Amino acid sequence: MMPPSRAPARLTMVLHSESSAQCGEGRVSRRLPVAAAVRGAALAALVALAGCATAPRTNILYTGDPVIDGNAERVAARPQDRVMWDYRIAASALRLGNYEEAKAKLDDAILNMGGIINNSADAAKARGLFSGENAKVFIGEPYERVMAYYYRGILYWLDGQPDNARACFRTGEFIDADAETAAYKSDYVLLDYLDGLASLKLAADGTDALKRATASAQGRALPEYDPQANVLVFAEFGTGPQKYAGGEYGEQLRFMTADSRVHSAALTVNDRTIALPAYDDLNFQATTRGGRVMDYILGNKAVFKRNASNVGDVALLGGVVAADNMRRYNGSKNHDAENAAIALGAIGLFSKLASAATTPHADVRMWNNLPQRLSFAALRLPAGQHAAKIEYFDGEGRRLVGLTQELTIVVDDVTRDTVVFLSELKR
Amino acid sequence: MTTPLHSRFVVLAGLAATSAFFAGCASQGVSNPTGVPVTEMGASERGFVAGTGVESQDLVTVTDKMARSILAIPEIANAQATPRIALDPVVNDTRFPLNKDIFNDRIRIELNKHSLGKVRFLARDRMKALERERDLKQGGQVTASADPNVTEFRGADYFLTGKLSGMTTKTSAGTSDYVLYSFQLIDARTSEIVWEDSAEIKKQGLEDAAYR
Repeated sequence: MMPPSRAPARLTMVLHSESSAQCGEGRVSRRLPVAAAVRGAALAALVALAGCATAPRTNILYTGDPVIDGNAERVAARPQDRVMWDYRIAASALRLGNYEEAKAKLDDAILNMGGIINNSADAAKARGLFSGENAKVFIGEPYERVMAYYYRGILYWLDGQPDNARACFRTGEFIDADAETAAYKSDYVLLDYLDGLASLKLAADGTDALKRATASAQGRALPEYDPQANVLVFAEFGTGPQKYAGGEYGEQLRFMTADSRVHSAALTVNDRTIALPAYDDLNFQATTRGGRVMDYILGNKAVFKRNASNVGDVALLGGVVAADNMRRYNGSKNHDAENAAIALGAIGLFSKLASAATTPHADVRMWNNLPQRLSFAALRLPAGQHAAKIEYFDGEGRRLVGLTQELTIVVDDVTRDTVVFLSELKR
Repeated sequence: MTTPLHSRFVVLAGLAATSAFFAGCASQGVSNPTGVPVTEMGASERGFVAGTGVESQDLVTVTDKMARSILAIPEIANAQATPRIALDPVVNDTRFPLNKDIFNDRIRIELNKHSLGKVRFLARDRMKALERERDLKQGGQVTASADPNVTEFRGADYFLTGKLSGMTTKTSAGTSDYVLYSFQLIDARTSEIVWEDSAEIKKQGLEDAAYR
């Protein structure tokens, strides 16, 4: 099928060839409709471009620092994309140890996506025929929102607020609660596990949360809670899911989920090695959500776009046939055929324009620096500095050369938890 | 020379131009180009930016109720000596991360405002600065209006603390959040709970289909 956006040009060309071959009129009169159509098309293009001249564009001088560059992008971005940049900057800042920046960005993101979004003009526009899904304020798919709360929870724990950390982990599970299939609802292992651990630290009962985590782990062993553990290690590795648009008009949101080579890690500290297996996999989480309500809306838009284009094709074809009969065999003009040709041409043109203007494209804005796998371990360490290293392993348990990181764990106060965040990702 | 066909094509071209204008700009419009003026609202009012979590109007409602309730109990109303109260941080057992201290802060402010000196609060969150000042006085580095070697930091007669507990439901029909705000006044000597009160708030909502 010809791309709908080229339909007006095809109309012009068809009329030109038909009139040249059949009308038998003088040179000037044969060229006039073509010239008018060309002028009309030029006018259309001019007006369309002029109407869009206000789209903002700012040049950004990249420094190579993901936080600085991310902030520059955030300033230049559309307001609808701000949360996306908050997410990306927060992950980068967390990996660079810039916790204040990560907190600020996650708090801003949570402020925007933490409530109930309704009566939103942007959301209404995204549902409309003539705007893509990316017209709405980006808050991300559930796995992205879950990660914002997961990271914020880690930072709350770092600040000595395990109850607020627990609140974040709970909201993360809550966000995942509306997956289509019951087996995939609230099935993050770590979020429940950490909910229980935080409860234990707060002298509450964490056994229910541990039971839920064990059920989600599906046979994978979870470490017993150690209430005396004072060092909490959060690790992440691999590259997370990436979005792309599929379907005839890009109306289907799809995920690219290449399996990362890092499957597990191990932390060695004070000659003791602690396993860091993957408890959660974001590739799995992104692809087990089931359909969205928005998918139906985009599907309907795609159907409208296709049908409008088909109607346009039929009408234009009818218009051509009618134009072919504008002259009778005796040379007189057939006004009925002429009117029919114009009417069908107009219908065809408007149908094609409506089809071209319909935007069923799925929103593929994404938190593009998420990890694939999440891990956690809790251990006891005395106050002081402890040299440590983290090694990464592939699916066969082979150590991956070149990824080992050396670090120092500093325990200032054994009466409060020390939080260590380790990422295989650099940005 | 102008023919009827020509004029109709000009009309069509005009229509095309108009359509192209609207089609080309369908996704590029700027909403609220002049912005939305700042709206001043009372803290107890429900704003147009809302969620199902803990919000300022809930804080005001709950802390007002707690402050009134505490003032009415005999341990406060009929106390021979002014009771000293220390604040113990509220425990957040909901799914909403929040600034927990703000609850105790507002109850303290309301009680100080309305109790006419019937209760006193201890500034335990300022102990570091207070101890430093005492040390300076003891060291003679600053003046003292009383003997700085006598301990005058007051002990607490009561602890005021609280807990926020939540229950959440999420279905295709929407989200429902119930939060129970419970507060206690605990006798520091006997560990008895001399007062307890609660408030509960439930909220429901459904997000725009574009986010479901």
